[in-house]
Amino acid sequence: MQRPLVVIPHLVRMYVRTRFEYPGATMLGWLSQIVAYGGIYTAIALIVTRFGNLGGWIWPEMALLLSFHLLAYSLGASFSFTQFRDIEEKVRLGTFDAVLVKPIGAWTYLVFSGINIGYAGHVLLALGLMAWSLPQVGADWTPLTVLFFLATLVSSAAMVCATMTMIGATALVWVKSSHLYSIFFGFWELARYPLQIFPFPLQILMLTFVPLGFLAYVPVAVALGKPVALLGSAAPLAALAIGPLWVLIAMAHWHYCLRNYQGAGG
Amino acid sequence: MKLSAYPAFTHSAFQSRLAYRNQVWANAFGDLVNVFARIAIWSAAYAGMTVVDGVTLPEMVTYAVLVGTVLRWDHARLLHEVGDAVRTGDVAVYLLKPLHYPFAILASHVGHYAFSFVTVTIPVVLIVGFTAGLMPPASLFHAALFPVFWLLSWLVMFCIATLCGLLAFWLLTAFSLEWFLMGIMLLFSGAVVPMWFLPPALATLFSYLPFAWVHYYPAAVYLGKLDPTSTWLHLGMGLGWLALLAAAVAWLWSRARHRIIVQGG
Amino acid sequence: MAPIISAVGVGKTFRQLKRQAGFGGALRGLVSRDYTEIRAVEGIAFSIEPGEAVGYLGPNGAGKSTMIKMMTGILTPSAGTLSVLGREPHSNRILNARDIGVVFGQRSQLWWDLPVRDSFELNRHIYDIPDSRFADNLAYLTQMLDMGSYIGRPVRQLSLGQRMRAEIAMALLHDPKILFLDEPTIGLDVVAKDAVRRFLAEINRERGTTIILTTHDLVDIEQICPRLIMVDDGKLLFDGELRHLRATLGSRRRLTLEFATDPGPLTLKTATLAADEGAAKHYLLENEAVSLIDVLNEVGPAHGLKDIKLEEPDIEEVIRTFYLNKPKLAGSAP
Repeated sequence: MQRPLVVIPHLVRMYVRTRFEYPGATMLGWLSQIVAYGGIYTAIALIVTRFGNLGGWIWPEMALLLSFHLLAYSLGASFSFTQFRDIEEKVRLGTFDAVLVKPIGAWTYLVFSGINIGYAGHVLLALGLMAWSLPQVGADWTPLTVLFFLATLVSSAAMVCATMTMIGATALVWVKSSHLYSIFFGFWELARYPLQIFPFPLQILMLTFVPLGFLAYVPVAVALGKPVALLGSAAPLAALAIGPLWVLIAMAHWHYCLRNYQGAGG
Repeated sequence: MKLSAYPAFTHSAFQSRLAYRNQVWANAFGDLVNVFARIAIWSAAYAGMTVVDGVTLPEMVTYAVLVGTVLRWDHARLLHEVGDAVRTGDVAVYLLKPLHYPFAILASHVGHYAFSFVTVTIPVVLIVGFTAGLMPPASLFHAALFPVFWLLSWLVMFCIATLCGLLAFWLLTAFSLEWFLMGIMLLFSGAVVPMWFLPPALATLFSYLPFAWVHYYPAAVYLGKLDPTSTWLHLGMGLGWLALLAAAVAWLWSRARHRIIVQGG
Repeated sequence: MAPIISAVGVGKTFRQLKRQAGFGGALRGLVSRDYTEIRAVEGIAFSIEPGEAVGYLGPNGAGKSTMIKMMTGILTPSAGTLSVLGREPHSNRILNARDIGVVFGQRSQLWWDLPVRDSFELNRHIYDIPDSRFADNLAYLTQMLDMGSYIGRPVRQLSLGQRMRAEIAMALLHDPKILFLDEPTIGLDVVAKDAVRRFLAEINRERGTTIILTTHDLVDIEQICPRLIMVDDGKLLFDGELRHLRATLGSRRRLTLEFATDPGPLTLKTATLAADEGAAKHYLLENEAVSLIDVLNEVGPAHGLKDIKLEEPDIEEVIRTFYLNKPKLAGSAP
């Protein structure tokens, strides 16, 4: 069982070297993503500052929400998004078969042979925005709340990674699953805003089947001491539990799909 | 060159989309959620106020629906298609045919758009119209001019996305270009925030750039925010931008074609 | 010795989407879907001993790749039992993977942008190959497959022949007990094909590595594999030595008799007349047991026989005729 741990650094090194075969494209990618997120964040800032607040959240609080959203997402997605988006293609071309004949878990191999350093631009922007917003929001930080904040960050990232795994695994059985990513990113966009501004059915959906409400809104609302829609006092615990819970579900789903893999012949 | 060849591209693009059933449902669902979210965001922003900067909440809801559905173009698909074709050299195939590549792409994307219009835009507008409520156009004049601005919007977007796609020939990556374009469109076109809520300096700057003709002007005309004189004036300016962008596409394409012929891609 | 691979009644069924024709059909497809069951592999049984080299032959869609994928643990059989090295390959996928090597002719396992050597190094870690063993194997394979000149180059710069040799080397670095090759010579030029074939025969002979390869090129089998398994439509048609294939498929030898002068019509019990050109007569030998001596004895000295020629049918042709007449013969397959 310790074998994968020894192999992981080598897998990561291979992928990073591959990316730096094309340093220009990698750097340009980072820059372009900073511009894209910069665009939407500026638009949101303009709305919030013009109207004073959005659902009771002022701009520095919104900035913390946005930065948490981006940081948790990019940490989770660097372990999962491109890897599992490309499963569809790998199944079609048969290269997924080549992964299955290696004496290493298919999930481990896929995830770590594709750790996406392309998210460095995301992380940089998120950390910058977070560093700017943290001193301006009126949260009282104790060692315990800091620990909680970091733990929810990890939990959210794990939830993203687990969701991507599930969508990718679906391609093993359905051959196609990219449309599920469109749905994921639809909700992912909504997860940038305070949940209570949305219609009630949407709030329910985003705390259950598509738990992106937990990606940033629930943990940040808890950290800021704001009342949390629907969850109330259960919010802190739920924010910590969502990651591990989703990971367990994703593991079961992944193994189910792997057992029912049909190959390109299906 | 045979003109009759182009509708074939439109037809096959439309047909090709039918094969992806799940994608159709996912797109319709995604757009619906997106529009309701936009409405929710503006409702939350207004928070009980009736008029902000001379604009009412129902007007803002209508603006959000127009921008989120009728004026929502899939520029990423176009950009990647052009980008991949020039980057991999597949575009050379078009040089063997009696066709102009930009026109072939235009024809095929008319097909893609018609497909989205029928399967996504119309159903979403109907659902939103019956649930959230939409305002009618401000006047008969504005109702008559909106389709013209709508067509102009599509053509301007087509030229901008094609330009970015062609740039992939030199930059060797369509990926970054798509992200750059996304960031610029989100802010400069009024896709999220209309010009009337922007600080005056920004509003002035953005309202002269071609991106504003993609989202802001068509929606503003529909809502009657531009008087007739100003509407005609901005139609003229938009056509000017379109001519400029089309010329840029033609020039960049001739450069790319020249390089493909001389250097073999 | 216990068999290294044994298959009993192995079958695999896929579900495939039925596409409806035309525009209306495509529209209907937006709301409803029909599936058909495809039996890619059906009732396959064989047993392979350690050290054998077996060619798995069949036309496209015959279920060759599906069988390889089941033996390598990629797919689960939907019927029957399959055992590789005493294990059920799918449920013991990782254990199985340690002991086998797999080469896919059309799908590279090398890292496209990195030097060949780096992919090898990664496998050293994945398969936990002891350093000295790795060094020995790498030296041996580099020399045998003549990879010295390009082992440090990125894979994207290699020719197909170079790449395929690297793929094979990579699959052998961890001393697998069984080497599976799916179409290893497809797309290669004559020289590269020859190099690959000679190497595989050598590795089988010298190291005792069991080889299972799928192909539709008979020369691969002639040069590497003493044993042939032939499949079609997912079913087993033949299992045995290549030279016995002709007899099993019941194809006929051609006999030509030339006379000094036209002896007139001549019927024989041992052979059937196919064409009569007067002084030259063409016969077909239906019976495998009939020898040239039998024919000579029957013709006798009376007709002034000048020359005699017995032609073995070309094996490619045998198989071609066989597939063409398939509907008739399918029932009599062994």
